[in-house]
Amino acid sequence: MKIVVLFSAGRHPASGAPCPVPVELQALRLARDLAGADEVIGLHAGPVDGAPLDALGHGLGRLIHLRMAQGDDPLPALAQVLEELAPDLILAGRIGQGGEDGGLLPYALARRLGRPILADAASLGAGDDGTLTVEQALPRGARRRVVLRLPALLTVHPAAAPALPFTFAAARRGTVERRDIAPAPAAASEMEERAYRPRPKLIARAAPGASAAERLKAATQAASSGGRLLVDPAPEEAAREILAHLRGIGVLRRRG
Amino acid sequence: MSRLRRDPRAEREAMRIAGGARPRFSREASLPVSARPRRDPRAEIEALLVPGGTRPRLDRLSRGGVRPVRDEATSPSESTVQTRIVTEPAFLVAVVPDAPGGRLTPLDRQLFGAAHLLAAGGGAVLALAEPGHDDLAGVGADRVGPLAAVADYDPEARAAAVAQALESLNIRHALFAETAEGGDLARRVAARLGEPLFAGAESLTPKLVTRPARGRRVEQRRAPPRLVSLVADSVAPYGGASCEARAVELPAPVPTTGAILSAEIILADPATVPLGEAEFVVSAGNGVSDIPSFLDLARALRATPGASRMLCDAGLMPRAAQVGASGTVLGATCYLALGIAGAPQHLQGITGCEHVVAVNTDLHAAMVERAGLAIIADAHAVMPALIAALEDEP
Ligand SMILES: Cc1cc2nc3c(=O)[nH]c(=O)nc-3n(C[C@H](O)[C@H](O)[C@H](O)COP(=O)(O)OP(=O)(O)OC[C@H]3O[C@@H](n4cnc5c(N)ncnc54)[C@H](O)[C@@H]3O)c2cc1C
Ligand SMILES: Nc1ncnc2c1ncn2[C@@H]1O[C@H](COP(=O)(O)O)[C@@H](O)[C@H]1O
Repeated sequence: MKIVVLFSAGRHPASGAPCPVPVELQALRLARDLAGADEVIGLHAGPVDGAPLDALGHGLGRLIHLRMAQGDDPLPALAQVLEELAPDLILAGRIGQGGEDGGLLPYALARRLGRPILADAASLGAGDDGTLTVEQALPRGARRRVVLRLPALLTVHPAAAPALPFTFAAARRGTVERRDIAPAPAAASEMEERAYRPRPKLIARAAPGASAAERLKAATQAASSGGRLLVDPAPEEAAREILAHLRGIGVLRRRG
Repeated sequence: MSRLRRDPRAEREAMRIAGGARPRFSREASLPVSARPRRDPRAEIEALLVPGGTRPRLDRLSRGGVRPVRDEATSPSESTVQTRIVTEPAFLVAVVPDAPGGRLTPLDRQLFGAAHLLAAGGGAVLALAEPGHDDLAGVGADRVGPLAAVADYDPEARAAAVAQALESLNIRHALFAETAEGGDLARRVAARLGEPLFAGAESLTPKLVTRPARGRRVEQRRAPPRLVSLVADSVAPYGGASCEARAVELPAPVPTTGAILSAEIILADPATVPLGEAEFVVSAGNGVSDIPSFLDLARALRATPGASRMLCDAGLMPRAAQVGASGTVLGATCYLALGIAGAPQHLQGITGCEHVVAVNTDLHAAMVERAGLAIIADAHAVMPALIAALEDEP
């Protein structure tokens, strides 16, 4: 099975220095575990290959670097090369770190290649005759096991197995193939950029019309007001009440 | 310094009105023209008025926030049961709630609040949701577009239906929840329409949305585009009058052939799921000394066990189980506290929990005040009763 892993030009969130995006390295590990080291190709489109080069040390054998000018749109170049390579599976990060960080590129790419896309893969297993079993990470630690027909594009979730450790020997062994591509200037955007400023989170859940005392109460006390109080019930009655309440909320699972 | 020197005689001369025997001047033309819009303090006060009550009350906190609608049509006597009715909306703002299992999440309610901000000035809020939801009128939907229910897990079919609705109804803005499900849907819709998505907006006003980028080092800002996905707790939920929730026709969905052959949900094992991610946490405090029985109860309820700091300090529970400011901050839906007093440091860990149940011998404990259901009883009697009641069930 031929797998292409997409690497973006990551930056460290604290220092701003070029560094690979952790979730893309996890994608690399998933690909290696599924298909073996020789079947995995890394692909990056960007002006310099600084951060993706580190992926070689984490177990990538071959990286294709599509050279383009700063600010160009990577989408056409990636689509063109992926059509040439025609891999069975394409893996991307869930969301980048250091660029636009919108997580839109894999979706736009899947649309252009006419492939199905599935988000948030946490582990992969090969199925029979061209299918793939994907465990998708859901909120609250749940998983969804999806059987998918290949070819497909997957984005990888941080809950996947941790990346392989960096080894210097692997970094030296890996090869990089540089290609020049036709420039594709990105569409002008009306986005304005400033230094980041954290915004206060909303705490008070009271309606805007409420009085100051009501807002204070909403911020410090129960979200579900009007609590019930049972003083000194028999243990059996207390147990019945608690179970009925839990069932009403819908957190109690049936056994089986 | 080179300040321009005024010439009062020339200025006066410029103001003179020609003709007449007596000199006459007009100041009209010489008034300074300022680009700043003129404030109208009366209209501002009017907008801050809180409806209801006999004494006028102003709410200055919700700056630019959701304003309760003051309906002129209804007489003061029926002012308690007013509904907001938009007959001919100038434009539509769509909300696509996540609503797992038909229940609106807090973020879904905030999406409606954000939509009402964007719909100010003659717009209407349209909820695009599968039928069978709780109270869409109460949370602020003027219109409801019933999406065809997708039986199995097929995100692409849902995205196709939403994209089709956005195209056919000519919607000005569409708001999505930036969660696993909603974020995936928003990106699929954006890719389908070939439009940019403003992903993970952290603040939203009719003029400006902002989002973090480049590893949260810069903030991107612009006027709200058509597709926006919003993170939790950035906009207040809609708090105005109940809306009409009138149904609108959506075009019939085109069938798509997905690549997904089958999908099944595997629920998390409550014993191994990290405490911060758990959905249902049962916690023991200093009032519980029978730890094995407590762990049995957690297993029987299929809940994740937690503890207060007292038990962790005493070595009775692992440090990873500690709930609170110096332990884990929970994201659970429900919290069952056995013998916990509810110190502020502990309560900080459960601010996000929607439902709290407390068992405590002290009627005046802070945890009893916080709880939706409080039982004043000995935890050592209630725990075995709970286990027995669970075992009796089919
Ligand atoms: C800097 C700092 C950080 C802290 N961080 C945390 C933190 O992260 N998490 C945390 O939990 N604490 C934290 N604490 C400690 C916190 O202040 C309290 O001391 C602690 O939460 C109290 O735990 P408790 O409620 O279990 O015990 P207690 O205060 O002893 O309360 C026991 C409760 O159990 C009830 N009770 C007794 N017997 C029974 C019975 N048989 N059946 C039912 N109920 C019974 C009592 O009425 C009482 O309400 C912190 C403190 C400091 C100074
Ligand atoms: N220039 C690029 N070259 C290769 N892959 C990319 C590039 N930009 C983004 N990606 C992939 O798309 C994912 C999401 O990126 P983004 O849309 O920027 O958040 C990343 O984790 C990468 O896997």
